[in-house]
Amino acid sequence: MSDKYGDISKAIVEGEDIQATKLVEAALAEGLPALDILNEGVVAGINKTGELWAANQYFLPDVILSADAFKAAMVPLEPQLKASRGGQPMHKFVIGVVAGDMHDLGKSLVCAMLTSAGFEVIDLGIDVPKEKFIEVVKQYKPAILGLGAYMSTTMLEMKDVIAELKKQGLRDGLKVMVGGVPTSQEFADEVGADAWGKDAMVAMQKALELVGGKNG
Amino acid sequence: MANSTLEMVHGMLYGKGLRFGHPSGLARVIAAMTGDHADVIPFFGPQIHDHAMTVAKVPARLYYWNAELLVDTHLAVDRWYGFDSDTIIADAYNFEVEALGGKMIYSDNAMPTVDVSHPLINEASDLDKIGPLDSTKGRIPMAIEVGQLFLKKAPGPFAGGFFCSHWSLLCQAMGYPKAVRALKRDKGFATALFDWANDRVLYPYMQAYAKAGVKNANGADAWACFPDLTPELIEEWVVPYALKLRQQCKKELGMTVAAGTAAGDYCEEDPAKFDKEIMFKCWEAATKTMPLNVAFSGMGRTQDWDMTWLREFALQKGKGGHQLPIMASLNGRFMRDSSPDQIIAKIAEWIDIMGRDGRMLVFIGNVPADTPPVNIHTAVKTVRTLGKYPIATDLSSVKIEPPAFQAFDEWLKGQPEADVILKAREWKPENKKVFA
Repeated sequence: MSDKYGDISKAIVEGEDIQATKLVEAALAEGLPALDILNEGVVAGINKTGELWAANQYFLPDVILSADAFKAAMVPLEPQLKASRGGQPMHKFVIGVVAGDMHDLGKSLVCAMLTSAGFEVIDLGIDVPKEKFIEVVKQYKPAILGLGAYMSTTMLEMKDVIAELKKQGLRDGLKVMVGGVPTSQEFADEVGADAWGKDAMVAMQKALELVGGKNG
Repeated sequence: MANSTLEMVHGMLYGKGLRFGHPSGLARVIAAMTGDHADVIPFFGPQIHDHAMTVAKVPARLYYWNAELLVDTHLAVDRWYGFDSDTIIADAYNFEVEALGGKMIYSDNAMPTVDVSHPLINEASDLDKIGPLDSTKGRIPMAIEVGQLFLKKAPGPFAGGFFCSHWSLLCQAMGYPKAVRALKRDKGFATALFDWANDRVLYPYMQAYAKAGVKNANGADAWACFPDLTPELIEEWVVPYALKLRQQCKKELGMTVAAGTAAGDYCEEDPAKFDKEIMFKCWEAATKTMPLNVAFSGMGRTQDWDMTWLREFALQKGKGGHQLPIMASLNGRFMRDSSPDQIIAKIAEWIDIMGRDGRMLVFIGNVPADTPPVNIHTAVKTVRTLGKYPIATDLSSVKIEPPAFQAFDEWLKGQPEADVILKAREWKPENKKVFA
């Protein structure tokens, strides 16, 4: 059984998107628990990619393909994860990488961790303009908005997004988290965010704290 | 007007040790690149287009469409700062995709941008439908006029046209993730893409430049920096196509075309991940496409680099015991966000490591629009002071006073570019058909 999770993880690390979908579908068909597939296969795989990236063994092209495979694996998995929560309402978490920034890996990791923790994640992807964040916050009324950036030039966009939320009267009742390589607790404080996610694991923990320690 | 040929000869002689007269900016650059040094380390004019627009307070919707305004604003702002050369380009990554019909985002305050959420190329069959580039479309005529005016107003070896090189053009036309997938998963499609970029877009563009008398052009390729591409992918794809276009244009158009500029630029953001071996591979790839024979530190987080590595590379690649000339590039964000004291300290550190024996130039990777002008003036003054040959033994003992400079508008009075800039400030979109 562990080999099946290992195979899913390997497909994600190697950026094999079609294979990742097939393996997840097969695992579900065999009756393996969706949450175990997520944690031991999908999240393990994207975490391994993160380790290789940090160790200078993987570079952006590798990461792009790995993130593709991660997303492909999540397609058959997400409905099962929702169903396993018995239809109970989940806290919504809208997340996106700010305008001008194409880096996807960190956000993909955070999405995986949040899903695992029971959030309903609305992933806006990369290079998300300020207007799109505002539109989606109005539409979904999430508990938390997560803003990510990988570059110190693009992270300044976060300040604009938060300012626009305030301007449009959307900031009250909405928690905002920021994260990404160039960000820090000081930066989070400066832009007026409610929390800073140092990495995906911490982001999930802080997200849970922001919604009162429980979810789903 | 100064004679650029004589200035270049002066620089070459000065750099070889025949030190007479007062070298011009161009002569300083040539001395540092071909000999050892002139009187002082040169400050190579950086890419500055949106910063220059901000300093000169001219409207974006005119500036990015009007060649004369763009060129004059560059020349005025470059001279206000005291750079030793000019780099005149507009939003170089957008012109081809715009002319081919790509969706654009235009703004009142910023440069035009390709809307990558509506890509020009979605699938392989699109390549047959798009192109060849029509040089009368979009802002291509403006780019050609910029090249002509640059050659006329600031002649020299660095004057000419600009374009977006192959890989960055593909990223602009289809989005980086899709372009990467093609490289990694479908070499046949990737080859078709690069062939399309070369044959259907860039070569017709270069033909138009050549026909207009612009026989020198640089192709920017920042999407080919590391880690967006690995050194191996750069060597496999970017370098061969850059050399192909260069040779094709030399042979068929009598034109000097440097494609792939900034390919291999080491742009890792996390200092904990800086890797000497990868840096050397990147610099090796970069020297194959750079229009200048230099070791180039580019747009990356250079303020955190160990510059002894760059010097080591330059010594390895140099000849006769001399280092390859080093273009030591200050990071744009560092220039924007640092205090003058931090800028002075960084330049002092770099000159100490790389500049004592000459063959060093200072540059800024790209000057962000909102960079405080005092920071640029401070950098120029510091290089002028600490970079004076012979370099002081103890640079920390040399006091740099805050730069004294007139406000731009005061300085502009009586300058040859004043009329064009002041007239542009009065322009209103309703005076004329809005461009977009």
